[in-house]
Amino acid sequence: MSGKVKIMERKGKDLYERLYLVEVFKGMAVTFGHFISNFLDNSKLYVRHYPEQKPEITARWRGRHRLTKHEDGTMKCVACFMCQTNCPAKCIMIEAGERVDGRTEKMPVRFDIDLLECIYCGYCVEACPMDAIRMDTGIFAVTGSDRQSFVMGLDALLATPGAFTEEEYKKGGA
Amino acid sequence: MSQLDILLLVLRVAFGAFVPLCFIAVLVWMERRGAAFFQDRSGPNRANICGFRAGGLVQNLADAVKLITKEDIIPDHIKHKFYFVLAPVIVFCIALVSFAAVPFADALIINGKEYLMQAIPTDLGILWFLALAGFAVYGIILAGWSSHNKYGVLGGLRAAAQVISYEIPMGLAIISALVVYGTVNLTEIAQYQGQLLFGFIPMWGVVLQPLGAIIFIVAAFAEANRTPFDLAEGESELVAGFHVEYSSMKFGMFFMGEYVAMFTSSAIIVTLYFGGYQIPWFSTETLVNNARAITVLLMLLTPAFAWVFALWMAKNNKSHYDRPNDPRVREAQIYTKILWGVVAALEIVLFIYLITVSGGVADRILVTLLQIVTFLVKTTLMCFVYVWVRWTLPRFRYDQLQKLGWQTLLPLSLLNIFVTSAIVVALS
Repeated sequence: MSGKVKIMERKGKDLYERLYLVEVFKGMAVTFGHFISNFLDNSKLYVRHYPEQKPEITARWRGRHRLTKHEDGTMKCVACFMCQTNCPAKCIMIEAGERVDGRTEKMPVRFDIDLLECIYCGYCVEACPMDAIRMDTGIFAVTGSDRQSFVMGLDALLATPGAFTEEEYKKGGA
Repeated sequence: MSQLDILLLVLRVAFGAFVPLCFIAVLVWMERRGAAFFQDRSGPNRANICGFRAGGLVQNLADAVKLITKEDIIPDHIKHKFYFVLAPVIVFCIALVSFAAVPFADALIINGKEYLMQAIPTDLGILWFLALAGFAVYGIILAGWSSHNKYGVLGGLRAAAQVISYEIPMGLAIISALVVYGTVNLTEIAQYQGQLLFGFIPMWGVVLQPLGAIIFIVAAFAEANRTPFDLAEGESELVAGFHVEYSSMKFGMFFMGEYVAMFTSSAIIVTLYFGGYQIPWFSTETLVNNARAITVLLMLLTPAFAWVFALWMAKNNKSHYDRPNDPRVREAQIYTKILWGVVAALEIVLFIYLITVSGGVADRILVTLLQIVTFLVKTTLMCFVYVWVRWTLPRFRYDQLQKLGWQTLLPLSLLNIFVTSAIVVALS
């Protein structure tokens, strides 16, 4: 077992570089170039003026969750517990009940996602056999003033619309 | 003491005390906006009072309010609470007091009496600065030790070792400068630099002592605990170094002390090596003798500068996204009006001076004011160099720092003394 040893040439050993000052001045010239061009015209800054200018969210971005519905408005979720079982952060709490709209036998009566626990890994979306949970709302900043407001209930999850069309979402690889 | 004496005394002490304090705000602003521009960011530009942001200066006010209203914690494990509280006071006060010996204008002669334009009219000059600069590190060491925290102690130890190492090249660089100037009095040093070399080069310290200037500036960076020598607060290793345990305004004192120290050492660098208050090619006597011509020149130059500044404001003070009825444009228009108001006031004052009181004492006061402005502009530029270096160079490793201090700067400064002395002896 003899690994290949590649000896790298060490920089900074010749006199010119060991004088240090010349290189310092070169570095300072570079930074000053940036400073003066930004100072004379600050539209050149690489900044997004955030609250006014929102970042573009792609369809693959994992934002806040939502629960999807059938075309007739009934929820797709069948309370199979796949997402809850698969969740590494254990942030999903489902309570199953009897289905009343006649589609299948089961539906959730409680579906809570604790966003403070959630790590936004997207495993719940991958695990779902019914395409009932998605993270395509495009909401990337969730704010609240108390802990309870971060627990998303069934109604809130169903009420949030997706930010993308079905084609865009499918193109994203879902 | 006559009333004039007392008035001038009060004015000078007020200048020495308040100008460094005002410069804290300017320097914090310059550091943050400057850092942002060096890195292609925009820096703090949102904080405002009724829509007036003053280019981000209002952020300082918000920071001050935050620091003052934060909880002031003295952790329970601290045994020596007195020293714990004393440490930031030492850092801040020493930095402030060491500015006292710096002349901000040439000696003002009124009715045949000479008034030195220093907060403390002393002959100690550079010795005053050396004595106090060495003392400021006691505050840092005390803070580190009394914090009873390993990061704090390590930060304090590093600061101590660093200041001891760099005090020596700094002192030796000053010695070679003193050999040239032949005096320790900073006013006389600045007066010396008002002469011309070969009749056309300003005789600034940096021309006569290029090596000494470089050594002194490097050592001054180390003394002020600024990057690339800010090992005492190397956050990747020591969290925050000597001020880990400090909160609220006690941290604020360290923070302000750092900026006052930066201002003071810039002032000393300017006085020793960049001609102090001297306007290049215009000595004090030339200025006094041609006060009228200079006033006319000023009256012409001020609107020109104001015009350029107004153009720059109109170009840059606007929102860079679609915004109906952009308030920043309106803000810039109001600033432009204020600017022209100030310029008009200045023109009127200069005009009144020109037709009524010019000649005699008024000329000297005008020249003094001009020199104060020159001194402050030079010091601000030097402070900008501090900011510039901070956002260009990475921090030194500890052994590299000591190696630079002992193996490079010390022999170089000794060599500089020999060469300088030889030349001075040969020329005299």
